[in-house]
Amino acid sequence: MVSKDSCRNEIRAAIRQLTDRCLYSAAKWAGEQLVGIEQDPSNFTPANTRFQRGSSSIRRRFSTNESISTPLPSIGFSQAATPLPEEDEAIDGDFYLLAKSYFDCREYRRASHVLRDQVSKKSVFLRYYALYLAGEKRKEEEMIELEGPLGKSDAINRELVSLERDLSALRRTGAIDSFGLYLYGVVLKEKGNESLARASLVESVNSYPWNWSAWSELQSLCTSIEILNSLNLNNHWMKEFFLGNAYQELRMHTESLAKYEYLQGIFSFSNYIQAQTAKAQYSLREFDQVEIMFEELLRNDPYRVEDMDLYSNVLYAKEACAALSYLAHKVFSTDKYRPESCCIIGNYYSLKGQHEKAVMYFRRALKLNKKYLSAWTLMGHEYVEMKNTPAAIDAYRRAVDINPCDYRAWYGLGQAYEMMGMPFYALHYFRKSIFFLPNDSRLWIAMAKCYQTEQLYMLEEAIKCYKRAVNCTDTEGIALNQLAKLHQKLGRNEEAAFYFEKDLERMDAEGLEGPNMFEALVFLATHFKTHKKFEEAEVYCTRLLDYSGPEKEKAKSLLRGIRMAQTGFPSMDLEHFPI
Amino acid sequence: MAGLTRTAGAFAVTPHKISVCILLQIYAPSAQMSLPFPFSSVAQHNRLGLYLLSLTKSCDDIFEPKLEELINQLREVGEEMDAWLTDHLTNRFSALASPDDLLNFFNDMRGILGSLDSGVVQDDQIILDPNSNLGMFVRRCILAFNLLSFEGVCHLFSSIEDYCKEAHSSSAQFDASNTNLESLTQYDQMDMENYAMDKATEEIEFQKSASGIVPFHLHTPESLFKATEGLLHTRKETSRTSKKDTEATPVARASSSTLEDTLVDETLFLRTNLQIQGFLMEQADAIETHGSSSSFSSSSIESFLEQLQNLAPELHRVHFLRYLNKLHSDDYFAALDNLLRYFDYSAGTEGFDLVPPSTGCSMYGRYEIALLCLGMMHFRFGHPNLALEVLTEAVRVSQQLSNDTCLAYTLAAMSNLLSEMGIASTTCVLGSSYSPVTSTASSLSVQQRVYILLKESLRRADSLKLRRLVASNHLAMAKFELMHVQRPLLSFGPKASTRHKTCPVSVCKEIRLGAHLISDFSSESSTMTIDGSLSSAWLKDLQKPWGPPVISQDSGSRKSSTFFQFCDHLVSIPGSVAQLIGASYLLRATSWELFGSAPMARMNTLVYATLFGDSSSSSDAELAYLKLIQHLALYKGYKDAFAALKIAEEKFLTVSKSKILLLKLQILHERALHCGNLQLAQRICNELGGLASTAMGVDMELKVEASLREARTLLAAKQYSQAANVAHSLFCTCHKFNLQIEKASVLLLLAEIHKKSGNAVLGLPYALASISFCQSFNLDLLKASATLTLAELWLGLGSNHAKRALDLLHGAFPMILGHGGLELRARAYIFEANCYLSDPSLSVSTDSDTVLDSLRQASDELQALEYHELAAEASYLMAMVYDKLGQLDEREEAASLFKMHIIALENPQGVEQNMA
Repeated sequence: MVSKDSCRNEIRAAIRQLTDRCLYSAAKWAGEQLVGIEQDPSNFTPANTRFQRGSSSIRRRFSTNESISTPLPSIGFSQAATPLPEEDEAIDGDFYLLAKSYFDCREYRRASHVLRDQVSKKSVFLRYYALYLAGEKRKEEEMIELEGPLGKSDAINRELVSLERDLSALRRTGAIDSFGLYLYGVVLKEKGNESLARASLVESVNSYPWNWSAWSELQSLCTSIEILNSLNLNNHWMKEFFLGNAYQELRMHTESLAKYEYLQGIFSFSNYIQAQTAKAQYSLREFDQVEIMFEELLRNDPYRVEDMDLYSNVLYAKEACAALSYLAHKVFSTDKYRPESCCIIGNYYSLKGQHEKAVMYFRRALKLNKKYLSAWTLMGHEYVEMKNTPAAIDAYRRAVDINPCDYRAWYGLGQAYEMMGMPFYALHYFRKSIFFLPNDSRLWIAMAKCYQTEQLYMLEEAIKCYKRAVNCTDTEGIALNQLAKLHQKLGRNEEAAFYFEKDLERMDAEGLEGPNMFEALVFLATHFKTHKKFEEAEVYCTRLLDYSGPEKEKAKSLLRGIRMAQTGFPSMDLEHFPI
Repeated sequence: MAGLTRTAGAFAVTPHKISVCILLQIYAPSAQMSLPFPFSSVAQHNRLGLYLLSLTKSCDDIFEPKLEELINQLREVGEEMDAWLTDHLTNRFSALASPDDLLNFFNDMRGILGSLDSGVVQDDQIILDPNSNLGMFVRRCILAFNLLSFEGVCHLFSSIEDYCKEAHSSSAQFDASNTNLESLTQYDQMDMENYAMDKATEEIEFQKSASGIVPFHLHTPESLFKATEGLLHTRKETSRTSKKDTEATPVARASSSTLEDTLVDETLFLRTNLQIQGFLMEQADAIETHGSSSSFSSSSIESFLEQLQNLAPELHRVHFLRYLNKLHSDDYFAALDNLLRYFDYSAGTEGFDLVPPSTGCSMYGRYEIALLCLGMMHFRFGHPNLALEVLTEAVRVSQQLSNDTCLAYTLAAMSNLLSEMGIASTTCVLGSSYSPVTSTASSLSVQQRVYILLKESLRRADSLKLRRLVASNHLAMAKFELMHVQRPLLSFGPKASTRHKTCPVSVCKEIRLGAHLISDFSSESSTMTIDGSLSSAWLKDLQKPWGPPVISQDSGSRKSSTFFQFCDHLVSIPGSVAQLIGASYLLRATSWELFGSAPMARMNTLVYATLFGDSSSSSDAELAYLKLIQHLALYKGYKDAFAALKIAEEKFLTVSKSKILLLKLQILHERALHCGNLQLAQRICNELGGLASTAMGVDMELKVEASLREARTLLAAKQYSQAANVAHSLFCTCHKFNLQIEKASVLLLLAEIHKKSGNAVLGLPYALASISFCQSFNLDLLKASATLTLAELWLGLGSNHAKRALDLLHGAFPMILGHGGLELRARAYIFEANCYLSDPSLSVSTDSDTVLDSLRQASDELQALEYHELAAEASYLMAMVYDKLGQLDEREEAASLFKMHIIALENPQGVEQNMA
């Protein structure tokens, strides 16, 4: 059973320890979670209320967990209480203090040099960590310097070898602490030794679970659910965070949402959890909800840049120009050289139809982070808009090569090839995209359209795809209409009538009108008339009479025909006589 | 992104290029003298020049050689002065102590270039023409260096350090083993230091004598002396360290191996872009030539390609090579994935040199080529319908983008597909697709469609001057002419020809037209030659022994030979051309086989195997072997055939889709039938059937073969009605898929079945039909054997037809004896004897020799075949004749032979032992 107080105390201690080891981003993350816990009533001062959000009404609307203020009921499994490790020295050494200040000034090599003879675990870790960061910094620089004409950028962190050697020696002697294990895992991962890296990271998080950096490294190594399930992790509330994140990356959104919902019981004000929930909801295409969540997030944390690209995607999808421009302006003034910022601006320009500029900003985002997946995909979209298909294909392909599960990029590839009049070639890509997201009607409809093109004209396959789309709850209602039409085209009137009826039902339920409606009514009326089901035919005809235009005339003549047939007149096709 | 940042010529300064520059400085020092210092003769000087030239062009590997390798090569080229050269090289490198030295070095390099307007050049001056190959190289190096930022210079500097360090770490064994191979045996006893001293003084003496020969050196005696002294010094130095190193080797190795693991990425430098492209072309050829045979592991090339991709992520051709590699190792999914990836990245604009880049539409990419490749891939993996669909799309897209080249290729591929795959009717596949080319042909049969496609492709290829395509289209056309009766496309009207015949003349014409490629090619060799492959051939030559190490002044003879070698490379034919011409020989062999000339078929196959064996793709080479072995089996008996098969098996069994197994089964089956081991024969038949794919329309050849053999097995087992059933259904299949030639042999088989079942009257029409088929396809040998069957049938009707049968046989005799296999000849001889014996007008006692002669001939030939049934018949007849003649001894001998064969026939298990 986790109590808020114990959580709070654990995190407070952890932040101190993480900061001592200069693991700043983990400390930052822990800090966010700390204030995410509902405030202690004991030190509930007015100054704190400013950070304490009063707008939980919105959350309540979406949260199923109504009892936020009550302490969390005990959860099925017992949480293993991991004792906080004691610091090995009460007073920090002078060299350590110097090294830390060097580190804080980003003089990594100097920091590690100062610590060369120190033996305390903290100092040893800091020495290696500083060395690692120095290597990383140099690597980044070299990446730019070495960029060859064929894209050679095999800059590597030159410290990795010595780090691996030293850390593995430390590990053998058992003189390594959990932070050292974390660093060892990172080094191993970069060297490409994934299984060993995973083992090291698991060991690290099991002995010291509050290091979020270790968890996220571990998450990046879990590329499949099998790997995730095979990990031998101690139970701890940090594990729930990890699982939530890992499920999300494995596209198990509902499972991930469940985890976050549970965590929200303790960390009811955590921005992180809210952003993650929004991400999951975004994947489930609940745009309205996501928008509200992001709005609230921004209200509480106005200078946040992380995850804001997702928000901009939502705004883009809702075509909210003004909001998007506001967001772009805000992140731009906060930190213009973040890939997310560039991406948001690119989205804005794209929405405004200025595709060249959008491409420029996506390009900048990619310059800042070459592996920024969504920027590649979005750039592909822009190139498609600009009718530069080869460039679009190139961009999409890069996205796919970075992450082969990116169904958007596969879909984009298919679209690009279809645009070039190569529907058969495009089919392969559509298939790939559907493989990763089999429950999306849009993808099925795209594939069906591909089969329907006049070059291929494989209608049977198109029908199969549309059927799948209908099963995936097609929100735009294209599939039913198309199914009916295709069946009509193939002369299967029974099936056509079935789908027209269904389509009609759908339109009635949504209160829609339009040419599709007329078409369905006319077809159904004539269909039932030819099959001598005059009552049904009459119903449809009378519905048609409500509308003006040629359909009304058609309905009238149909009705007349029905009357005549009913009264037993010799069947004469009166429709052909102008009356 | 790369679509925009893609640059053509990659030329970066690397340590290796600096080595070449240093050597160039030695080759052409700025000082004025006709023969620079270390060279003792002009030939030696020229040799270094040639070597340098090949270094600047070579691409025997994409990675630049390490210093150690370079020094090894220098040893071979430099002969006596190798020590001087390598020392100079390493000294120059060790003299580079700071980035500033690099700057000075490149400033000095400027000095060895002549001025661009080289009006005044003294005779005895060695000056690099700035526009020569070497001059261009130096200029490019200088330019690339000048473009470097300070960081770049620093990187270059540190990579030079690595470059030298690695060479140094391995110089231990290298000094010990490589320098003096001749002294390797005494190595242990030798005092290293003394040895080195000796060697060094020897060299000094040599150099002194050299300077004696060449008086120009005398004006710089001081520098010479210094150099030799320095040489002596360094020699001592290295020998000492080398001794130390040899002691410490195990330790050093152990530590440096881990070090090397990490450094390996950094010390690899790619050559220039053009060289890489050339190298990749070579690799692609190699993949095709070797297929997935054991000597050429696909995993090794895969790992190599992976490495290359890490080094040059923007070099997209790597993906294409991966595709090829996967294609040849039958990995469908990986092949598909890599193919798509390649075209996604390159948009089809990279690497297809046959397409002139200037023909517009580069903006839209060339994705139609992707379709073409995809279609061919599906074809290879045996998905004819998919392939057809994709190719149809390729036709459409290339028409839309008016890419005639691609269209011509696509049409050729399509016709190839249609003719290879058994597609009963294309309407179901092609009917849905609209396309001007295919839609005009929608009402036509598959054959006519193939013909139209071929004609169309040929016309386009001709007008676009795509020589190779023209040639291969001619070959395809020849194949078509060979296999199909030429029917007028619109067969109505008064002038419609009723003559249904293939025309051997036109086959021959097409083959010859196809082989014209080689003469066409020589006129345009310059555009087709890949720069890279040529120069790497040069480098290989340089590494070959250059004759005795002593340089004689009168080396005229050797020079001419090397000159010849170079010329040889200059006119060397690209692999693709050689392959096509080779294919024409194979086609010739096949056509002769069908037309029934065994010697011609054999000769052409032999020509192929000897001349084109090296450059051919593995499947073609396999086919040639196959034909030769078949020939052996038919004409020399099984023993030879099995011996040859063993050799071929070693070579080809690992090749994907190997036909060797098929051949083995065929021969085994034949032999089992002859020996009367029907159970084995049946088993082999089933195995044959199992080899074929279950998909419709694929592996038609194999399926026909399997059921033909099944019918024959049934016939041998005297199950006539079943055999006839199988043969009938086989005939229907052949008719459905338009396999005309197979139809003739099936008809013959049917005649044979009726003959054996004693129903000669029913057999006659089949035999006649078979003969008429053979006539219209000019299958002379098959016709001869059909005639033999016909004659046998006549005889079966009664002995009063013996005369007629004999006449028929004599008409076919020249063909049978000239070209027929052992079995056919034996059958003919026995039948002849039979005819004579059944002819009442012939008396055995007077004319015994005619009968006995042919019987003796028959039994001789049957010996090799182990065909017991026929052999027994022959001995039986012989015994009868001898009996009539009253020659009792001979009669007993023949009778015992007869008994032996009968026993062997009834007890086939004994033979089976040595068969498996």
